[in-house]
Amino acid sequence: MLLMTVARQGLCLSRSQFGVLYRHAVPMGTTANEEMNKFWAKNTQLNRPVSPHVSIYKWSIPMMMSISHRGTGVALSSGISAFALAALVLPESYPYYLDLIHSMTFGPQFLAFSKFALAFPVAYHTFNGIRHLAWDLGKGFKIPEVYRSGYIVTAVTVLTSIGLAAM
Amino acid sequence: MKRFISSHRSRAALVHPGDSSHLGLVVRIMAALVRISSVCCRGVSPLLFRSCSLIRPLAVQKKDRDCPYLISAKIHATPSSYAGSGSKAASLHWTGERILSIVLLGLAPVAYFYPVPAVDYSLAAALTLHGHWGLGQVVTDYVHGDFKIKMANAGLFLLSTVTFAGLCYFNYHDVGICKAVALLWSK
Repeated sequence: MLLMTVARQGLCLSRSQFGVLYRHAVPMGTTANEEMNKFWAKNTQLNRPVSPHVSIYKWSIPMMMSISHRGTGVALSSGISAFALAALVLPESYPYYLDLIHSMTFGPQFLAFSKFALAFPVAYHTFNGIRHLAWDLGKGFKIPEVYRSGYIVTAVTVLTSIGLAAM
Repeated sequence: MKRFISSHRSRAALVHPGDSSHLGLVVRIMAALVRISSVCCRGVSPLLFRSCSLIRPLAVQKKDRDCPYLISAKIHATPSSYAGSGSKAASLHWTGERILSIVLLGLAPVAYFYPVPAVDYSLAAALTLHGHWGLGQVVTDYVHGDFKIKMANAGLFLLSTVTFAGLCYFNYHDVGICKAVALLWSK
């Protein structure tokens, strides 16, 4: 009902963002990608500074979890690439290097800790990934739901990592 | 109250934008309604438009006289007939990413219970591709400029190729991914 109000008022105002105006709409003729590139080209060419954003906006749990999802993803991918590169470059076999590492370790706590350190990003990325897939299905977008699913993901991640480290 | 509002809603729906004579009246009714409804409705919308409604109705009437013709709004609309043959590529890519994620999710328990070479190679492929597409999104988000984007994507492609080659080499000449994880965890 309020949208209708806005639409009627919006027609008299020059710019309205609401999609009720399709009858009088003119498609812009460029894709979102092209416009994005035009924006960046123009603003970097003019040497404009970027307004502060992440440095001034108050950090929230969803924000932190989102960047952590990206961070764990990049870290895990780098780890896999490093492992693959090592497999191609290093002369000896995997069991040899594993024994080498084990001969150098500083006790069972170190081993348990390093297992936890490996399991944690995998678990976090996996469970938050499931949360992402739920969003892709359109579920769980209400703010309380976002926070609730976030807490669940974090809790399950910690428990799973501890469980895996104990194995 | 509700009937009052809905009747006016239907009335507004019938009014065409070109009828400037009706429009001013409708807008004034709407403004009043917004003020009433903002008292009883929750949400952001009443707040957004309350200040607008107090000022706009007057401005509207003047503008009506200035431009009696229809005002076009520029919206972002790219009908699929518009773009070239690759228009569905982005959408299909998105879907492919999600399907691959689900496949990878399913591979994990399979790798635990059936650590065979077929699973080793499937894991190598799925992990590499998932990482490649994921890093591709990171590049899209943070790298700007035609040349830089091309270079970043070329570098990424090289990295992913080497990664896949390395994992396949490991699977063939060494113990394989499943066994490697098992060995790592055994100590």
